Amino acid sequence: MTALAQRPTDSPPSDSVPPGIDAHRLAERRVLPLRHPLRWVITALVLVLLLNFAQTLFTNPSWEWEKVGKWFFSPPILKGLQLTIVATAISAVVSFFGGIVVAVARLSGNPVLSTLSSFYIWLFRSVPLLLVLVFLFNLGNLYPEIGVGIPFGPQFTVNTVATLTPLALGVIGLSLSEIAYSAEVVRSGLLAVDQGQHEAADALGIPKRRQFTRIVLPQALRSIVPAYVNQIIGLIKASSLLYYVSLLDLFGIAQNLGSTYPTDVIPLLVVATIWYLILTSVIAVVQYYIERFYARGTVRVLPPTPLQRVRRALSSRRATAGVA
Amino acid sequence: MTIITPKRLQTLGALAAAAALVAGLAACSSSTEAAPADTGTVTVAAFSNGAGTETKIKVSAVEEIRKTLPKKVLDSGKLTIGIGALPAGFPPLAFTGDDNETLTGAEPDLGRLVAGVFGLKPEVKNATWDNLFVGIDTGATDVGFSNITDTEKRKEKYDFASYRGDNLAFQVKDSNKWEFDNNFENLNGLNVAVGSGTNQEKILLEWKTKLEAEGKTLTVTYFPDNNATTLALNSGKIDAYFGPNPGIAYGNKLSAGSANPTRTAGIFSGAGETLEGLIAATVKKDSGLAQPIADAINYLIENGQYGQWLDAWGLKNEAVTKSLVNPPGLPLDNN
Amino acid sequence: MTQAIAVHNATKSYGDKTVLRGVDFSVEAGTVTVILGPSGSGKSTLLRAINHLEKLDEGFVSLNGELIGVRVKGDRLKELRPREILRQRAKIGFVFQNFNLFPHLTILENVSEAPISHGIKPAEARKTAAALLARVGLSDKEASYPRQLSGGQQQRVAIARALALDPDVILFDEPTSALDPELVGEVLAVIRTLAGSGKTLIVVTHEIGFAREVADRVVFMDEGAIVEEGVPEQVLNHPAHSRTQDFLSKVLA
Repeated sequence: MTALAQRPTDSPPSDSVPPGIDAHRLAERRVLPLRHPLRWVITALVLVLLLNFAQTLFTNPSWEWEKVGKWFFSPPILKGLQLTIVATAISAVVSFFGGIVVAVARLSGNPVLSTLSSFYIWLFRSVPLLLVLVFLFNLGNLYPEIGVGIPFGPQFTVNTVATLTPLALGVIGLSLSEIAYSAEVVRSGLLAVDQGQHEAADALGIPKRRQFTRIVLPQALRSIVPAYVNQIIGLIKASSLLYYVSLLDLFGIAQNLGSTYPTDVIPLLVVATIWYLILTSVIAVVQYYIERFYARGTVRVLPPTPLQRVRRALSSRRATAGVA
Repeated sequence: MTIITPKRLQTLGALAAAAALVAGLAACSSSTEAAPADTGTVTVAAFSNGAGTETKIKVSAVEEIRKTLPKKVLDSGKLTIGIGALPAGFPPLAFTGDDNETLTGAEPDLGRLVAGVFGLKPEVKNATWDNLFVGIDTGATDVGFSNITDTEKRKEKYDFASYRGDNLAFQVKDSNKWEFDNNFENLNGLNVAVGSGTNQEKILLEWKTKLEAEGKTLTVTYFPDNNATTLALNSGKIDAYFGPNPGIAYGNKLSAGSANPTRTAGIFSGAGETLEGLIAATVKKDSGLAQPIADAINYLIENGQYGQWLDAWGLKNEAVTKSLVNPPGLPLDNN
Repeated sequence: MTQAIAVHNATKSYGDKTVLRGVDFSVEAGTVTVILGPSGSGKSTLLRAINHLEKLDEGFVSLNGELIGVRVKGDRLKELRPREILRQRAKIGFVFQNFNLFPHLTILENVSEAPISHGIKPAEARKTAAALLARVGLSDKEASYPRQLSGGQQQRVAIARALALDPDVILFDEPTSALDPELVGEVLAVIRTLAGSGKTLIVVTHEIGFAREVADRVVFMDEGAIVEEGVPEQVLNHPAHSRTQDFLSKVLA
């Protein structure tokens, strides 16, 4: 303020300021921020709609909340939930490592391997999962026996129908399809790692395998993790197609119960929806911490976790309370 | 091939471990039939959620019929009965019981009675409608008891042993005063749901053609399963559902007193106007199982168990007098 | 004096563009050589060819009598397996213009990574790494991540990392070009301490002052060939060739 007061009082050259304004007074005032009245109107509208919807959840008898409560922890629903979790978890793990193998094969200099893996990705991204499952179920028709052996040489074989249980078929089907997608996720993650990182590792003479596990993959995982978690969430829902191999997941059970209890169809669908919301939320929390782990080194200071934030807020309030 | 390095071996090991885990879990999930056949009694309409009356029916192995079975089936000691009730069942014919576990319904129960005549242990397998047939094709399933209509097209791949007639009904909301009155003209202007690829679809489409010839309309709508049809009926998207009478009767019974009660607005014989539609046990063509199954059903008809079974499920209107092997089916184009 | 590095007929082109035209070049053990030249003159390619980050079309590099990246097969040279090349690189340190530190590893892990991967016990590697970090004045940053450091500090870590395998030769590819001017000095100071320590240093740089003060020998390259070379006093103060004169007048302007 004093600095301003000491300035010479003659006005600045008239052509640099719009005519008729007091340049000195205006320069000292705080600039008013732009108002957004439309934003407030839209917010109010959305809130009203949301409240209306929330109200129907309690007042519309169609939801039949007491039936939702009855089914929510019922043994068949929990059994379906278990199948959803088990099938998704195994497929997610298998697909992750399978995806790395296919992605590395695709990026490798070996033309046979890279062509094969490109073909694999093309094939299983093109064919709907549903068809994959139907074909797998038909495996007994196409190949009555499966086995390994030397072409035209000795073979070790087993009967298809007897060996592959529905869960095995289902997990294989989910994984076959999922590996194609996760391979692309992994590949894009690997390509996102700066060429300089490869050069630096090469220049230090770090063995190739260790370059991959210690230098390249951890950096690639940073971009792989969010995309792959997206895949897993898709996988949870894809597992509802498992009834094609005679397995009832969460959604399948809800449908099956709905046919036995036709008056409970909507509550059963609500139960399934809530469980899917819970599963996705749990995964989102896990994702947050995994991403945080792989973000180390990319930002100068990691932001506090929600838990740390709550704890900090509480302790600061306690401190203020103590002072008061 | 590239060289398999120790690290890759570890990865392969992890995959193998995961595969073993799958196999282990899968082993836990296979189901077995609770009631063995050699007790001489089959409990029908168990856990039926009110669709039928639980009844114990005495049935014992009949050696003359048993000895005509193919050796493969006899040696296995069990009869694998397929139903196509995934993901949603169709009570009271084939569905998951109200213990939320047992596969119950008129169809698998007749399969259990037939297994009793054979002196075999029944094993009921649930699958999607498509996979039911795939199961019969691959030999994983011996016979389908699943409200399968005998058609000429299906005879190209399967043999049939008939056991039940096919009555159809119109289901409407209780508040809807419409009646069929055994006259298709009354369908004018309505939107009616029907199962795709069924006998009743063919009948409904014939009526639609006749109505349109008169300048009238009939909209035919399809849904993937019974749950979706029920929801559409409740919400008023469709005026009526045209389907198997037993299932509609069951739905009406359960909906009484609920938010969306329904009722039957007319019954029509599934025989259609030209040919009798028959429900039949379905086996792989030339598997040698059709004749023994027909013999077993005829044995059950003659000895009264068939009547008890119909009574237990309230299906008396659908009774047949004799089981036939490959009776004339609905024509080829009916699918 | 013994020759540490000898380059024979280094020839390299990318498609139609020839970047090295049969360069012959040698460096004596324990000396500091500065390579100067306008951008696109092939100086970085030559440097990268020395530790086989670039493959030569013709010609070869030898270090203390051992061929780098190739072996003799009959009357031809044949490329070595990646594993063997990686092993050879342990004897040649390389410092990049953009540091190329591993961002997900701490400073200490960055420096100890290569020794551990070459079979040194982790505890021992960490001890050596800590000593090297002390030598470049960054003892207090051991647990930091690269992005938490200034550019100058990062390049000092990169030098410590290159020293961790105790190489005979260290190659610097424009080590100060990516730095803000006020940070150049601290990096040059570290390089200066290495001069005369027995290590052979080859530095591609535009820092004429540094070359004049530290280099035993200055090489001027243009259009994929060595135009002139000699002691700093001769090349920098009395360049014989007009292209050298041109370049110096632009850089010093």
